[in-house]
Amino acid sequence: MVQFFLESERVTELVTHLKGQKPVFAPHRKGRKSFAFERVEDAADVVLDYPRVMHSIRKFFLPPRETLMTFDLAENDFSTADVQPSDAIFFGVHSYDLGAVHRLDYNLGKGHPEKNYITRRQGAVFVGVSFEPDAYHFCGSVGIDPMDTSGFDIFLTKLLDGYIVEALTEVGEQLLNGLDLPAHEAGKPARGNFQQHIYLPQAKLNEVMAKSYDNPVWAETAEKCVGCGTCNLVCPTCYCFNVEDTVNIQATGGTRDRHWDGCMLREFTGVAGGEVFREHLADRQRHRVFRKFKYISDETGQPWCVGCGRCTAYCTAGISIVNIVNRLVGDYEKVAVTPI
Amino acid sequence: MNQFQMASPTEARDLYSPVMAVISKVEKMTELENLYTVVLPDGAELGHKPGQFIELSIFGVGEAPFSISSSPTHRGEFELGIRRVGMLTEVLNRMEVGQKVGIRGPFGNGIDIEQFKGRDVLIVAGGIGLVPMRSIINYVIDNPDDFGKLHIVYGSRTDEDLLFTEELARWEADPKIDYHVTVDRGSLDWKGKTGVITTLIPGLELDLEKTVCCVCGPPIMYRFALLALKSKGLPERNIFMSLERRMKCGVGKCGHCQINSTYVCQDGPVYHYPDIKSLQEAL
Ligand SMILES: Cc1cc2nc3c(=O)[nH]c(=O)nc-3n(C[C@H](O)[C@H](O)[C@H](O)COP(=O)(O)OP(=O)(O)OC[C@H]3O[C@@H](n4cnc5c(N)ncnc54)[C@H](O)[C@@H]3O)c2cc1C
Ligand code: SF4
Ligand code: SF4
Ligand code: FES
Repeated sequence: MVQFFLESERVTELVTHLKGQKPVFAPHRKGRKSFAFERVEDAADVVLDYPRVMHSIRKFFLPPRETLMTFDLAENDFSTADVQPSDAIFFGVHSYDLGAVHRLDYNLGKGHPEKNYITRRQGAVFVGVSFEPDAYHFCGSVGIDPMDTSGFDIFLTKLLDGYIVEALTEVGEQLLNGLDLPAHEAGKPARGNFQQHIYLPQAKLNEVMAKSYDNPVWAETAEKCVGCGTCNLVCPTCYCFNVEDTVNIQATGGTRDRHWDGCMLREFTGVAGGEVFREHLADRQRHRVFRKFKYISDETGQPWCVGCGRCTAYCTAGISIVNIVNRLVGDYEKVAVTPI
Repeated sequence: MNQFQMASPTEARDLYSPVMAVISKVEKMTELENLYTVVLPDGAELGHKPGQFIELSIFGVGEAPFSISSSPTHRGEFELGIRRVGMLTEVLNRMEVGQKVGIRGPFGNGIDIEQFKGRDVLIVAGGIGLVPMRSIINYVIDNPDDFGKLHIVYGSRTDEDLLFTEELARWEADPKIDYHVTVDRGSLDWKGKTGVITTLIPGLELDLEKTVCCVCGPPIMYRFALLALKSKGLPERNIFMSLERRMKCGVGKCGHCQINSTYVCQDGPVYHYPDIKSLQEAL
């Protein structure tokens, strides 16, 4: 694969070049430390050097709120919402967030493949960028490197004064056509070090999780947790949802909408009659962590946490998923090495 | 490369749009429960198995899961036995014959008829749990050659809460059916047994190896019913349970119905007891 060199000053030129071909969505600065993926109007607004966006690109394929159908109350009839392929370039995506999209592909495609999601995924082009791990990233521990190019059409690897540009698919190559870039001869830089680590790989975590149902860490974590559901809201591999009808103000019709939901919220398992099947926060903590490291992982062999660090960075109560998992590992090993 | 294959757009389905079906009959069963008869467009068959459920919706109000109470042998329409407990079920209660509701489904696995064939069938139903169990009961009654004996054990809070009373009388009168009923608290007119449902189990005359049992009732009932069935000597492999959880989509996407690793709307609602006995969240 040919590698090109792009000077930092020419990023705007690259974005403009891409924008001429398809809509481009990229990270924009929203505050001193906050960034968000938005449609690019002015290529100069694109930020490539960012630690993480609060909401991953999941929001373009599984929007926080989407109308499933519009209904007419007088006619008692409905029309299904028209869903369009995204057909856009997602520029400046970190490897863990694309890993998360691939996991959603599995969940929403499995069993009953869902039209809304799969349609939106069509025509999506991914341009990745490498990143420096900060105090929260731990994707290295779940098998995702900051310079992991898998699944990307184009990948930008950060150098001191610019980026190595690689076209990894035919689509990527074509998009770069017409851009005059010098070849990059030297190799790739060494990647930055992670400050956070899970001590065991998934193959071992399967064993740990199988023995962790009754670990005291769930109840201890629950003492701090307030059950706000923020960790679900920001997780790029969460996809649970609720569906609600909204009637317009004239009461002539309305919409049936679905919106993100979270297993940390009490009502999530509540049924008529008052029963709540995961009443205790400890039960909900276990469920959240098992969804990332056990239930789907037992099926696929892969961790369903991509190590983005969001749930920890944004947690209202300062709860760290890495600490929870490492605690389970530690307790498991203590028992495992205890002589009989 | 995506390490997890995504389904192709041609395989993708619109999972959430209902078909509009007509309520052709409403029968008041108790103060809280009605039996609704529903007809699909052009009298199409729902094509369900006993034990499956549908999602019923009313625009502007919402959507909720309900068990299909009629047996597939009852053709051209299907029945839902619904308790008034909140918004959707209240609005439904005010609807009239001829009005339309949205239907999606059938969903869930239902019972595996093949596993039940040639066996004696024991149904243990608590309260509104009789609604889904009735689809199995009537399937067995309508296919007498395929099954052995039919035992029905039904428990209700009071005699005023008893559902399908006409059918209960028929089951009771049928010499081929071993029918038992109890109420927690009987009114002055109640001549039958009082006591919780589990008190009926020790007295049953069962061919333990030949009998398959299906249990459905309020969450609290399962553990006690199980204890009673086990001390009766019924092998675990002969026990099935129909479970209820919150459900939103019915198609394994929304996550609400999950019990440990299993999705009740996909792998259930009817579970073979040995498959769920190690799931801590199940019972
Ligand atoms: C597989 C299955 C079969 C069922 N079969 C029957 C039946 O045959 N007859 C019957 O009367 N009831 C049945 N239920 C329960 C029925 O779904 C609830 O009574 C119904 O959702 C209540 O809706 P509501 O809007 O009137 O009540 P509300 O309490 O106002 O409901 C509020 C919200 O909670 C949701 N909700 C409450 N309980 C449930 C639940 N159990 N599952 C999913 N969502 C829930 C509703 O969707 C609604 O959005 C069944 C539930 C399941 C899961
Ligand atoms: S964000 Fe933190 S406090 Fe909120 S539910 Fe998640 S773990 Fe609990
Ligand atoms: S569980 Fe936390 S660290 Fe893992 S992918 Fe979700 S938000 Fe990121
Ligand atoms: S009801 Fe949505 S996943 Fe089962």
